[in-house]
Amino acid sequence: MSSASNSRHANQSKRNIRFLIVSFGGLALFSVMVFSILGIYMNRRSQDTISEVGELYMEGVREQISLHFETAINLQLEQLKELVEMYDAEDLSPESLRAELAYRAEVRNFSHLAFYDQAGAMEFIYGGTLEVIDSKPFLESMKAGDEKAAVGRDPQGNEVLLLGVQGSYFMDSGEKSIALVAAMPLEYIKESLSLEREGGLLYAYIIRKDGSFIIQPSDVSEHSYFDLVRRQYEVDEALERYLSLLASSMERGRDYATVINLADGRRQIYCMPLNKTEWHLVTILPYGALDSAVDNLSSQRTIMTLLACGSVLLLIILIFMRYYTRTRQQMQELEEARFTAVQATKAKSEFLSNMSHDIRTPMNAIVGMTAIATAHMDDREQVKNCLKKIALSSKHLLGLINDVLDMSKIESGKMTLTVDKMSLREMLDGLVSIVQPQMRSKRHSFNVQIDRITAEDVYCDSVRLNQVLLNLLSNAIKYTPDGGEISLYLYEEVSAKGDNFVRIHVLVKDNGIGMSSEFVKKLFESYSREDSTRIHKIEGAGLGMAITKYIVDAMEGQILVESQLDVGTEFHLILDMEKAEAMDLEMVLPPWRMLVVDDDELLCQTAVEALKDIGIQADFTLSGERAIQLALECHRKREDYQIVLLDWKLPGMDGLQVARELRRQLGQDIPILLISAYDWSEFEAEAREAGVTGFIAKPLFKSTLFYGLRKYMVVEEGDQIPDGPSMDFSNRRILLAEDNDLNWEIANELLSELGLELEWAENGQICLDKFRQASAGYYDAILMDIRMPVMNGYEATKAIRALPREDAAAIPIIAMTADAFSEDVQRCLQCGMNAHVAKPIHLEELSRLLERFLKK
Amino acid sequence: MTIQECYEALGGDYEEVIGRLMREKMVQKFLLKFLNDKSYDLLVESIEADNAEEAFRAAHTIKGVCQNLSFTKLYQSSELITEMLRAGDTAGAYAFLDNVTEDYEQTVKAIRALQASLPEEAQ
Repeated sequence: MSSASNSRHANQSKRNIRFLIVSFGGLALFSVMVFSILGIYMNRRSQDTISEVGELYMEGVREQISLHFETAINLQLEQLKELVEMYDAEDLSPESLRAELAYRAEVRNFSHLAFYDQAGAMEFIYGGTLEVIDSKPFLESMKAGDEKAAVGRDPQGNEVLLLGVQGSYFMDSGEKSIALVAAMPLEYIKESLSLEREGGLLYAYIIRKDGSFIIQPSDVSEHSYFDLVRRQYEVDEALERYLSLLASSMERGRDYATVINLADGRRQIYCMPLNKTEWHLVTILPYGALDSAVDNLSSQRTIMTLLACGSVLLLIILIFMRYYTRTRQQMQELEEARFTAVQATKAKSEFLSNMSHDIRTPMNAIVGMTAIATAHMDDREQVKNCLKKIALSSKHLLGLINDVLDMSKIESGKMTLTVDKMSLREMLDGLVSIVQPQMRSKRHSFNVQIDRITAEDVYCDSVRLNQVLLNLLSNAIKYTPDGGEISLYLYEEVSAKGDNFVRIHVLVKDNGIGMSSEFVKKLFESYSREDSTRIHKIEGAGLGMAITKYIVDAMEGQILVESQLDVGTEFHLILDMEKAEAMDLEMVLPPWRMLVVDDDELLCQTAVEALKDIGIQADFTLSGERAIQLALECHRKREDYQIVLLDWKLPGMDGLQVARELRRQLGQDIPILLISAYDWSEFEAEAREAGVTGFIAKPLFKSTLFYGLRKYMVVEEGDQIPDGPSMDFSNRRILLAEDNDLNWEIANELLSELGLELEWAENGQICLDKFRQASAGYYDAILMDIRMPVMNGYEATKAIRALPREDAAAIPIIAMTADAFSEDVQRCLQCGMNAHVAKPIHLEELSRLLERFLKK
Repeated sequence: MTIQECYEALGGDYEEVIGRLMREKMVQKFLLKFLNDKSYDLLVESIEADNAEEAFRAAHTIKGVCQNLSFTKLYQSSELITEMLRAGDTAGAYAFLDNVTEDYEQTVKAIRALQASLPEEAQ
């Protein structure tokens, strides 16, 4: 990444952070404002509500007090009225009437009783004398015939409650009274009204219009409410206005209500006149207690609001932070993905430039050689040489293109495996024969070994497995300097996948130029190639290992690699394969005695194990000298070995020398077989001359040994065909579709050797017709060429398989074609063919296939 | 002229063919038959007529025969032309046809030489 984009990236994130901080700050401010406004509003509302509640409460209390007062006064007035009604002034003598009244008054707890005349004079008939305080309104009421309460004072200065009702009696003065007045202690009202402020929320005073207390509160020294207020509080305009408004309301006999803020708190004041008196009730409700409760409430609410606000903000912060980190993470991932993509693109463009170099090189050779050849038309040698080089370059180019096509198939996910029954032995045989020419031309020593292989037949995609192993082997050949050592080692293990599976290990080892550890790390990446000058002259697209890895992954296997520069490389392939059913043939040979001679002890042990499995008792020895010794010992005991397996390369005496010696000592009877991983054609003549009877190819599978030995075990005289037919094919009839008569004749000639009867179909259509016209079971199998005129092999096979007859699906159809691309093989199988053999016809391979399919 | 010499002359693999067909007599028989094979003529005609499909089949057949008879040299050129024709490249195939012709003629020449050296009854 460039520094410019780095700093741009940093700027961007700084801007992001700033935006987040600003917007978060704004949000916080907004939240605080909203919550504050809410708080203030709620406070106001609750103040108002409190005032309302106070008012309601006060109204209730006020009414109660005034009612109470009224009731108390009325009660006493009733008592007094009863007195009046009890006695008729006309019936009784004045003396006895007064005595009766006095008596009744005492009984009713009155302290005084008097007649009250028009002038306001009183004649006491019970208790001492009294004077009426503020007598004028009282007199007025009495004259009007009302009932009334007032306050009187005795000579001692004690105040009493006066009650007056209408009553007409003769007084001593000769006048007729207008009312009967009774007195009782003021405590009566006090008690009944309980005006004391002890504990109550609310307190009340009863006062006159001038503010003086009717009932002097016990804790107050002033005699007037006004004085009390003036003393308690600093007198200001508001207070004066309150007092004057209060006084004027009382004067007019109206109710007065106000809320006033005083030094010790807000209070509600209500003043109302009391019935049947000249008095007023002042109720005072200090909001203090309520206010403090409300204040408490509102402070709690403020705290709660702040907490709520805080927690909301906290939550938002958390969400913001989480979101921010997630965004950051995503950005980072995006950046990484971009980086990977850039890397991949880089690798691809590097690959492309490599490829264009790789493609151009052979292309240039082709173009150049063509030009040279054209210039030297007449020089045959020169032209021949050019054409040889052109052919070589073309082949190389084709290989490159095939790799690229395979890779593009893999990358587009189109490569799939075609899992089918296959033989590990056949595959290795094929592999060995393919790489042998290259091994020989680079003079590598090639060692093939197998160990403990119990399941030769497994389910696997043989074409792809072959591709993988071929790639590993040809790399080993390519990257090992001439005369190196290359080995292929195969062994079996119990598979973790279950009893039906075996774990096959394949090791391909060389002592070549090796790889650097950095390269090993990206060995399996597409488009990689060890990029050092020493590799430059070695061709290849760098896709082989990626393809290999992909195939191994698709097979759910593992590929491990160990490599060291200039020491060598070892690839280790681990595959779990499903075992195919037990072999068609029960592989048992007569219990012959046999000797295995090889300097490789592991190979000897494996071979002896395998031989034991097929019923042969075998000894082994590691040197030629010891082998001759053993053979002679047995000969003396008349227990000759009946067959000798001899390695070609041995320390000391080599295989051929040993063979010669054995022949010299023991004669011509015992078959001596040479084991070799090499193509023996080079030294076959020499070997035969030395007395070798035949050859067995490494690796030594059980079946290799079985098939290899069987023909020597059966008494076969003279010059029989090596690798001849092991099954009787006589009277088996085969339909062969082949458009070319030469090819047909070759096939006919070869297959007739096996005792088969062949019929010829010149193309797919004729093949189909012949099969259709023949009775069921007439043909035992069909050999099908693919490229034919009129109808090709694929179509013919599909048509035959679709025929409505019982053997249409069952008859074995084997493809014979010069194409051995894996797609062709797959297509053959998809069309319903049972197997595929590549041209040219190999009698051995074909007979094995026929054996497999004709058995049924 | 022996069959082995004939194979050397036509650029084939004698070891290989004898390994498969086993008997010299048989190889000889097929060699002579090759002279009558019309696939090459069909190839030339088809290419000239720009019939890629037919040409491909003909080339393929030649390739198959060469494999059967281990004519390595002719096999190589016929394989190349087969691949060109498989891809539908008739122009390329036309240009390359001369190479095939050369190899084919070399092969035919060698076989004719062999034929000439055989006693009468074998012919």
